[in-house]
Amino acid sequence: MIRFRLPRILFPALILIAGLVHSTLGWAQDSSKTVVTTPQVRAELLAFAPQGVPVGLGEAAAARQPVWVGLQLAHKPEWHTYWKNSGDSGLPTTLEWTLPPGVIAGDIAWPIPKKIPIGSLANYGYEGTVLLPVPLTITPDFKPPLTGNTLDIKLKASWLVCRKECIPEEGEFALQIPLKGSTALNGAAFEAAFKAQPRPALTTQGILPDSVVRIDGNLLRFSVQGLPVELRGKTLDVFPETPEVIETAATPKQAWNGAEWTASIPLAPQRLNSPSLMPVVLASNGQGWRAELKVVGEWPKVAAGPGVSSAPDTALKANAAATAAAPAGGSTSLMLVLLGALLGGLILNLMPCVFPVLAIKVVGFARHADDRRAHRLSGLAYTAGVILSFTALGALLLALRAAGESLGWGFQLQSPGVVAALAALFTLIGLNLAGLFEFGSFLPSSVASLQARHPVLDAFLTGVLAVAVASPCTAPFMGASLGLAVSLPAAQALAVFAITGLGLALPYLAASLVPAVARALPRPGAWMQTFRRLMAFPMFATVVWLVWVLGQQTGIDGAGALLALLVSGAFVVWTLTLNGRARLVFATLSIAGFALLTLGIGQNIVKFADSTPVSGSAERWQPWATGKVDSLLAAGQPVFVDFTAAWCVTCQYNKKTTLANAAVLADFDAKKVHLLRADWTRRDPAITAALSALGRNGVPVYVLYQKGRAPVVLSEILGVDELRSALAAL
Amino acid sequence: MQRRSFLSAAAAAAILMQGHAMAAPAVVGQSAPGFTLTDTAGKPVRLADFKGKTVVLEWNNPGCPFVRKHYQGNMQSLQKEAAAQGVVWLAINSTETASGDYLSPAQLARWMQDKQAVPTATLMDEDGVVGKAYGARVTPHMYIVNAQGVLVYAGGIDSIPSSRVDDIPKATPYIRQALGEIKAGKPLSVSTSQAYGCSVKYKS
Repeated sequence: MIRFRLPRILFPALILIAGLVHSTLGWAQDSSKTVVTTPQVRAELLAFAPQGVPVGLGEAAAARQPVWVGLQLAHKPEWHTYWKNSGDSGLPTTLEWTLPPGVIAGDIAWPIPKKIPIGSLANYGYEGTVLLPVPLTITPDFKPPLTGNTLDIKLKASWLVCRKECIPEEGEFALQIPLKGSTALNGAAFEAAFKAQPRPALTTQGILPDSVVRIDGNLLRFSVQGLPVELRGKTLDVFPETPEVIETAATPKQAWNGAEWTASIPLAPQRLNSPSLMPVVLASNGQGWRAELKVVGEWPKVAAGPGVSSAPDTALKANAAATAAAPAGGSTSLMLVLLGALLGGLILNLMPCVFPVLAIKVVGFARHADDRRAHRLSGLAYTAGVILSFTALGALLLALRAAGESLGWGFQLQSPGVVAALAALFTLIGLNLAGLFEFGSFLPSSVASLQARHPVLDAFLTGVLAVAVASPCTAPFMGASLGLAVSLPAAQALAVFAITGLGLALPYLAASLVPAVARALPRPGAWMQTFRRLMAFPMFATVVWLVWVLGQQTGIDGAGALLALLVSGAFVVWTLTLNGRARLVFATLSIAGFALLTLGIGQNIVKFADSTPVSGSAERWQPWATGKVDSLLAAGQPVFVDFTAAWCVTCQYNKKTTLANAAVLADFDAKKVHLLRADWTRRDPAITAALSALGRNGVPVYVLYQKGRAPVVLSEILGVDELRSALAAL
Repeated sequence: MQRRSFLSAAAAAAILMQGHAMAAPAVVGQSAPGFTLTDTAGKPVRLADFKGKTVVLEWNNPGCPFVRKHYQGNMQSLQKEAAAQGVVWLAINSTETASGDYLSPAQLARWMQDKQAVPTATLMDEDGVVGKAYGARVTPHMYIVNAQGVLVYAGGIDSIPSSRVDDIPKATPYIRQALGEIKAGKPLSVSTSQAYGCSVKYKS
């Protein structure tokens, strides 16, 4: 920033002398070239060299003889031109000088601007008359022309002058400044411009705190020190020199804290600049101060997200590439897969299938709220249980695949027997939590005491249980990761499964190791009973889901049989809690009834229904079959395939929302898309093969096929917008 | 009944995980605000109609010298290039009816025709609702919405903020560059820039 260095006291005298010189000697410049008049503006090139032009002087001596030039813009009423930061629109005035060798023009010493609001926008600029002064440096290289005694100056200026409408204007100017004698006719104009220069705010390193601007969400909080005492309590105008940072039209909320001036101003929604230093001009009553504010904090991201969203088939390519690359042994890609597995495991904690198991853990946690060692032990045991069973399940899957079985992740839920067993287990846990029985009351006392004496074993088994029910939920988040895992060498694949388990166990493990978590829980008491009963309901909800899955696999008879057996089994459990003769009689009867029921209808549970259970099948969906996609494509029809399973919650959610969306269905019809549903609720080697061709090993998978194009794999949580844009691209 | 309630609980969990965030006004990298405006012929045009295509939004006002600077050929050739790439081009005029710059739909259509402009549609936004939703401050303020409906560019038409036609060949043509990069499937090298020009003459 350029400041005027001439002692102020000299001005009146100089101006007086200049006036005398002018009136008596006349003016040496060609006035026809110094003024450009348009209907909006009168622009004039002015000079100010009260002590003449320093020719052949050294730097220090030359500095004592300042030479200023400047463009004076006199606006017609309502019209304005712009400051160096023009605000929301407009352009700063630009000056291009043509000067003799050895003469150097400095930057414009911008006087304090005005904020000019225009509706919801605002500009920084000048109305009335303004002079934009520029200092000239006369170096010793400057050689006066042989023919004259003048410094010849040419200027090409362009300014944008606006009222509501804007007019870009230009002017060419020329001026000759006498080398000898004073040029001070326009001293008053220059003095006014110098007075309107912002002065630097006081900075005293180490004594005054730094002036800073803090980024606080979408606000900038200014804190400026070193302003003069007379400003205190006054409302200041704020002019940031950096364009496109703050919302120009906003009114700053400002306050004074003693010597510190503070203000908060919202960031521009489409902020362009993220400076580390923000020079700001603060003004009041025609006087201004300039402070350079250090920026504290992180600028919020401006252009978050993808610059260009990738083509929709990128997911497929990425999958294929990962599958191709990883077996070659790229350690980076394995690390990425492992990281993905860890994240996937963590996310599993939020899934509806895992939630009930987590609820059991929370109850257990509260029970031992004051025993830190027990917490640590049970946390470790739970983790071990999760990791080991995840690995064991993975190993089983790999072994079965190696033996020629076509299986995918979640395969255990494709077996009705497993589903029924899980339903029974969850009923039992639910009844226990609801308070129908305590384990100790009917188990042989040795087993009951085993459980009590071995909370570690208990925790371990909870971990196993968590994995058993969590596995079907893994597919949506880890489709690519687990799909890749089964194609990796066995050791690496098992590592992926183990890491997934670690992710699942991690939150509970961390909670058990940090004493603060246990302390944060309420003290054991009556609330625990209430909480326990509450947790019974997620268990029963899980049972409902499992019964529904079984219904998809074995039909209404299977589901009915399972429900009957669950009720009968619950009755058996209750009779065992009775005492004395009643226990003997009722228990005998109930067990006999249960056995009869099992013999009579039990086979319905494991017998697959005859009809193809394409769940919720409307006419528009047809069952998928090998080769069907190809034959439809050959006929020129686009094909959409929904790889789904009844036990896959995400699949069901997508089916009820996006795939039932009226706009989506209309788009399907408009594009004559053939809809196929591949139901993987039960084992189906053909579907498993089709999934692995897509680089996947679980459901859901949504694929859009079109003749002559790579199939487009859509995301697992299928969005209406995503699907519609994919359809629009057909 | 029970089945449905379980599914809706699951649905709620799934919705939580999607985590859509909509913020106004438009921010680069987020979903572009949808809109319906009438074109100069009175026909409604919806942004959503062009899902799956790249859409250029141009804030237009023939009364603005910066707009006229680019309508001496530059804007038209950009519009032609866009059309050849299957890119939709919407010229939007947010000038309020009370402004001296206001042109009726017929006048605006005539001006565009005289200039041999070839946008996909020229749209009237006299209330300024769409302009404000996009945070359009100047004419010409330029935006690009990608095929997925995400705002990928906001800013100037090129890199030299001036009203001189001579500067156009010297400037980096941000819009042409961005369309080329989108076509090539590359990330945009410039996704925001200084928009320069006249203030949009919004209804106050």
